[in-house]
Amino acid sequence: MGYIVAIPLLPTIAFALLAPMSGRVRNKAVWVSVAAVIIALALSLVAFVQVWPGGHEGEAVYHSSAVFASIGTMDLGVGVLLDPVSAVMLVVVTLVGACVQVYSIGYMHRDARIGWYYAVLSLFTAAMLVLVLADNFLQLYMAWEVMGLCSYLLIGFWHEQVAPRKASLKAFLTTRVGDVGFALGLAVMYATAGSFDFSVVLHDFQWAPAAATTVSLLLLFGAMGKSAQVPLHVWLPDAMAGPTPASALIHAATMVAAGVFLVARALPIFEASGVALTVTMLVGVITALAGGMLAAVQHDIKKVLAYSTISQLGYMFVALGAGGIVAGFYHLVTHAFFKSLLFLGAGVIIHAAHTQDMREMGGLARKMPVTTVTFTIGSLALAGIFPFSGFWSKDEILTVLWHGEHYVVFALALAAAFVTAVYVARLWFRVFTGPEQSELKEAHIEMLVPMGVLAAISAVIGFGSPYFAQFLGHEGEWPAAPIALTSTAVAGLGLALGWWAYGRRTKVLNTRPLKQRAGFVYGALTMKLYFDITYDFFIVRGYGLLADALAVFDTTVVDGIVNGAGAVWRSGAHVGALIDRYVIDGAVNGTATLVRAAGARVRRIQVGRIQAYQGLMVGAIVLLMLWLVVKGA
Amino acid sequence: MTLIQPVGALSFMALSVVLFSLGLYGALSRKSTVMVLMSLELMANAININLVALSRFSAPAEMTGQFFAVFSMVVSAAEIGLGLALVLALYRQRKTVEIDAMQELKG
Repeated sequence: MGYIVAIPLLPTIAFALLAPMSGRVRNKAVWVSVAAVIIALALSLVAFVQVWPGGHEGEAVYHSSAVFASIGTMDLGVGVLLDPVSAVMLVVVTLVGACVQVYSIGYMHRDARIGWYYAVLSLFTAAMLVLVLADNFLQLYMAWEVMGLCSYLLIGFWHEQVAPRKASLKAFLTTRVGDVGFALGLAVMYATAGSFDFSVVLHDFQWAPAAATTVSLLLLFGAMGKSAQVPLHVWLPDAMAGPTPASALIHAATMVAAGVFLVARALPIFEASGVALTVTMLVGVITALAGGMLAAVQHDIKKVLAYSTISQLGYMFVALGAGGIVAGFYHLVTHAFFKSLLFLGAGVIIHAAHTQDMREMGGLARKMPVTTVTFTIGSLALAGIFPFSGFWSKDEILTVLWHGEHYVVFALALAAAFVTAVYVARLWFRVFTGPEQSELKEAHIEMLVPMGVLAAISAVIGFGSPYFAQFLGHEGEWPAAPIALTSTAVAGLGLALGWWAYGRRTKVLNTRPLKQRAGFVYGALTMKLYFDITYDFFIVRGYGLLADALAVFDTTVVDGIVNGAGAVWRSGAHVGALIDRYVIDGAVNGTATLVRAAGARVRRIQVGRIQAYQGLMVGAIVLLMLWLVVKGA
Repeated sequence: MTLIQPVGALSFMALSVVLFSLGLYGALSRKSTVMVLMSLELMANAININLVALSRFSAPAEMTGQFFAVFSMVVSAAEIGLGLALVLALYRQRKTVEIDAMQELKG
């Protein structure tokens, strides 16, 4: 089964081919990237079939690894680990990746840097596949960071504008805050268990509760950064400044789910801790609720979806916190499909309506039938309406919570489901009904086909729910009636409220009185629950002050030292010049002057008269003889 | 003390010094080139006297000084021939034999 290695390798090769090309050639070569991901998808499907019917509780179907570095006795390896979890993730990542890449051909075809866009998408896909197939935490961390880089590059793809630039920095730095936790967690893990390998850390090693709590909370912090959990969620809504298909792939389906994947992988450590599970659940439920409420007041269609993503990721954390690895993981899978579908649909809508503001949209239903049908399927899946996929996974989460006797969290999760249904209805009715916009056109076929694929999957995947649990090696059950009915009723109520507020009339309801009556709540929500302001005030501003102080330090002390050194050097050079001019030149010129003066004096002897020479000669001989006489005496 | 004493080496050397000094004076002071050449002859002969006398009083049997004197005279004769020929050649060119007129190599 060596072909498994080719799955992450293909997009890597695509990136390696595309990256060094010149822009013009690269723009024509985007098919390399698309072909790579489609072949990877085919291989992933083969791998999935080979793992089928799964069920071997955490046992690897295929495992191979190689050491890439040795530090002392410590071997750092990269490996490929195919088990049911990674098999599912392989299919999800390559399928959504293929859909997004095909869709992007239509969406990005006018962009001057489409080649670079595809190169980064390829790199991202490769990193995500390496992460999914990782057999140790260090490899997972490395892939994790590469994804962070790709996210940064794609959010800031249109870096000519200010907003994407700022958003990309914000995303990178915020996730880095979490990554520090991840890195520390890895350090503690190695110090405690002496290894990064899943087989050692997750199975063989007996975790003491204290160490397990430390490690799992640090890992959770990293996951919170990547998966945009409160309070590290602030980067995800801003990340919508990037291209919409990239948002669909990275900021809805795959990368943000990496945090969930990490927690799901490391769940044995969390279970050894116990406390960490509760913390995970609390973080998740707060995020689910806050994200849902924030989504309900946004006007930008992409931001609604972004907050919705945050909220749904919170749902996954709740499930994992309650120990429901299957439920959480299953919601990850269904969410990946229906949320990427919604984002791709939003891309079509934005192209057609030439705006992202839902207040300026309307009446898309009659002009754009395919988009409407697919988007509606995605919306119903998100709201949790039978028989679409979201219903099944949400139902599993609620069941886990109920059986785990987390009744408060259960109620909060239901509330979050209700809010979800409300904002879904708000979005749908605002965009698809109401007064029509002129000049609406259906999208290109290469954009509609991926949406159709994703919609089909979202519509039917739910019926695989019990088999999914069995595939992962757990007992699968069909939803029990009481909880299923409750969640459906709550979702239905939410949709009804949304319809009452936004879909009832041909003109959109004026919500101003409501906003005035609940001024405080609405204000808090429109201010994004004050997170950004708080961070601005305490962190960004403080950092700014620090930067200012450092700038002053820089201009005075550092520059002072540098300029001082320069000045000292320059005066030294002056001294050197003086020495040069007076001592060295003086010596040279002095020699010349001396020789000339001596010559001028000596030439007087050379009078030209023979008898003068004779006299000199005689005088010299006399002196010589005198000297001989004196010496002899 | 008697007026006539045997003639010793010192007397010959005194004569030689007187002759040499006269020759040197002439060579340094005369204007005419011919006179300078003659003065040079005086100096050469002063040395010849010295050679013969010192040989006679130190090692008379070998007669080294006499032989040297004869050689010296022959060389002097040749030298004075050449010198006078040069003087004649100079005179033909310059119509003068004044030694001060010859200052072309002055530095």
